[in-house]
Amino acid sequence: MSFGTSRLNACLLLCLLVACSRSGEYPRDDITIIIPYNPGGGFDTFVRALARSLENHLPEGIHVVAKNSPGAGGRRGANDVFRARPDGYTIGAFNLPGVLVPELQKLPIGYKLSEVSWLATIGSDPYVYSVKGDSELVSIDDVKGLDRTIFYGATGPGSTAYIATNIFNEVLGIPYEVVTGYKGSSSYVLGLIRGDFDAALVPMSTARPYIKSGDIRALAIVGAKSDDPEVADAYALGEPKLAEIKVVRMIGGPPRLPEDIRAILETALLAALNDQDFKDWLQSTGNVAQPTGANDTAAMVAKMSEFYEDFEEFLD
Amino acid sequence: MIELLGQAATDLLSLQTILFLFLGVIVGLVFGVIPGLGGTTALALLLPLTFGMQVIDAFAMAGGIMGAVAMGGSISAILLNAPGTAPSAATCLDGYPLAQQGRAAEAIGAVATASPLGGLFGVLTLLLVLPLAREIVLLFGPPEFFLLAVFGIVTVAMSDSQNLLRGLIAAGVGLMLAFVGYDDVHGGVRFTFGSNYLWDGIPLIPSLVGLFGMAEMIGLSIKGGTVAADTAAVRLDGVVSGVRATLRHWKVVIRGSLTGTLIGAIPGVGGTVATFIAYSTTKKADRDPDSFGTGRIEGVVAPESANNAKDSGALLPTLAFGIPGSAEMAVFLGILVLHGMQPGPAMFVDHVQDIYGLILALTFAAVLASLIGLLTVRWLAAITLVKGQILAPVVIAVSLVGVYAINLRPGDIVLAAILGVLGHLMIRFDFPRLPLVIALILGETAERGFQQSMMIGQGDWRIFLHSPTSITMLLLIIMSLSWSIVPILRKRMTSS
Repeated sequence: MSFGTSRLNACLLLCLLVACSRSGEYPRDDITIIIPYNPGGGFDTFVRALARSLENHLPEGIHVVAKNSPGAGGRRGANDVFRARPDGYTIGAFNLPGVLVPELQKLPIGYKLSEVSWLATIGSDPYVYSVKGDSELVSIDDVKGLDRTIFYGATGPGSTAYIATNIFNEVLGIPYEVVTGYKGSSSYVLGLIRGDFDAALVPMSTARPYIKSGDIRALAIVGAKSDDPEVADAYALGEPKLAEIKVVRMIGGPPRLPEDIRAILETALLAALNDQDFKDWLQSTGNVAQPTGANDTAAMVAKMSEFYEDFEEFLD
Repeated sequence: MIELLGQAATDLLSLQTILFLFLGVIVGLVFGVIPGLGGTTALALLLPLTFGMQVIDAFAMAGGIMGAVAMGGSISAILLNAPGTAPSAATCLDGYPLAQQGRAAEAIGAVATASPLGGLFGVLTLLLVLPLAREIVLLFGPPEFFLLAVFGIVTVAMSDSQNLLRGLIAAGVGLMLAFVGYDDVHGGVRFTFGSNYLWDGIPLIPSLVGLFGMAEMIGLSIKGGTVAADTAAVRLDGVVSGVRATLRHWKVVIRGSLTGTLIGAIPGVGGTVATFIAYSTTKKADRDPDSFGTGRIEGVVAPESANNAKDSGALLPTLAFGIPGSAEMAVFLGILVLHGMQPGPAMFVDHVQDIYGLILALTFAAVLASLIGLLTVRWLAAITLVKGQILAPVVIAVSLVGVYAINLRPGDIVLAAILGVLGHLMIRFDFPRLPLVIALILGETAERGFQQSMMIGQGDWRIFLHSPTSITMLLLIIMSLSWSIVPILRKRMTSS
């Protein structure tokens, strides 16, 4: 064997090694998962629990570090993920339609959801049309029958709750006005109990304990089928398209994430979401996850974009 | 109730739980002392660690942290004029002048007495009103929030009768800073000059580190020398007189604790406002209000009694409605959820024993932290003897690391530096910094409350007269205004 071929062989071997290590090496380092809200909230806790479960499905010694990047209704966190280097070491949690709507409104947001490398869907949270527990209203027909402007409470304009309120009332032809600016769903549930306004669309996860205690009453549910004959769902209301109104929580990475890395993350995430320990935690805390993979998530984003585009005029 | 309390105490008294409590206290003291860090950061770091723990252990550790940060934060407020935590900022006002006079040990002695007393008072109040938690939280709607915020700003801005105009100007600047960022009521981002960093507004902790700690260190570097003006006058054995002074001013302790518990219970207003209002009301009630700020021991006792009492108050909305009364409580909420407890109407029924456990942990922690503080005060007070050229760079570096560690945002360091210069200029030109801080904190609450009230009342101003709470708040505002203005008017009348 001449010197030349051995050098060529060495080169080839080196190339092969590099190629192998490129796919074989990931992940070598800790992975950061960006949470677009302050520490302590329901979503934050959920993602932190998921991050911990995710560590069990990654190679030994790789940590998943949760980093809060709150601001502008989740837009800043989305921006941070979008701008990160597509090396698989920065991923983030997204809350739709919260971060979708500003994009449809063509606000200067700095990200494009269609370009995000989607990894998995965590699950969705339907909305409950709620009134105060001692209210005389027992059905949506009662609300319509009042024949006056109905006051609602919600978080800021562009927030999921605000848009859900707009679309719900526009579709059903109920005259309405929204008191905005409540800090999160617990705050406007409190406003509802106090009597600041007539009704509110509350995410199921927040509403459940208050419905149970009788502080608020559910008149309808959108975004999921109703299992209570007293509570109408989108189909019972005669407006099936309202079933699209829900909060969906997803995990995604920056655009142009290499396919091999994306696949590793997707597999690990799905395994983490289906982990028995994680499921036990979900059950003990009353949380629900309905995990789906990357393709379904991307399809869901596209479908939601279409739905909200139809209601563009009610988005702000 | 007594039975459950006893049961909770038994749970807490196992060796393992006491160890976690002790660990929490040490972490709390360290995080409290370093400006920028603080209870919120300590709890956020702890949150994932509590996964595998028993509920009572997690609560013991969290309670240890929350009970101890106040003590740690006030130590740096007194020794360096750099509040280790936001609620300790009010302690700077008279604590630091005391340190400059060589009476740091006395001031720390007062803190170590006033804060556990305030904590105990808060806990007793909490136990009494726990059954009424819902009603209390429901008293405050948007109109009441607006009036409360106005009350807070007015009380603090007008507390210095010699300097009314400067106080109001500082409050105005604070309001301008408070309105930067995302507008939650109408949407849209304001006054950010195209910078993403400002989307979430001007963050409080870097601002406080800049306005107090950095500003002081800039001053010290320019002036040279040590914190204590006359090193010969420094007495390291003043602790006992600090303890005595606190006990002598028991009325100040009770008023401070009551203020702390009440304000702490109002969601979104939080501990910093509680300590500032406790300070301002004590100052106003005093016969010689103008001597505050020059090193009055009551100026330390009042905010310190509020500082630990506020945690008990802040638990009310956190537990009853899942709405945090302070930033620390927001993270604590995460720990609750993590351990399968859903804050809300059922919390007081399903988890009473755990709640009592937490309350006891908070109390033990406050006492334990004070003991540690008292034992180490001799060495701590010696910091005031360290030369400025050594002290300033160390404090500035540690503070900036603390500021950066919260969110890992370089912008926070820049902001702290800018406000440090602003703070230094304010000291030089005799503008009070307190009104700026309080307006920065309450500006958002005031704006939100006003806008929401206008929406709910459909533009009718009478919404501010609709509830007994809001009428009470209005009366308080009028009282606070006349307290400052009437003497001035009277003086003018007599002189003309």
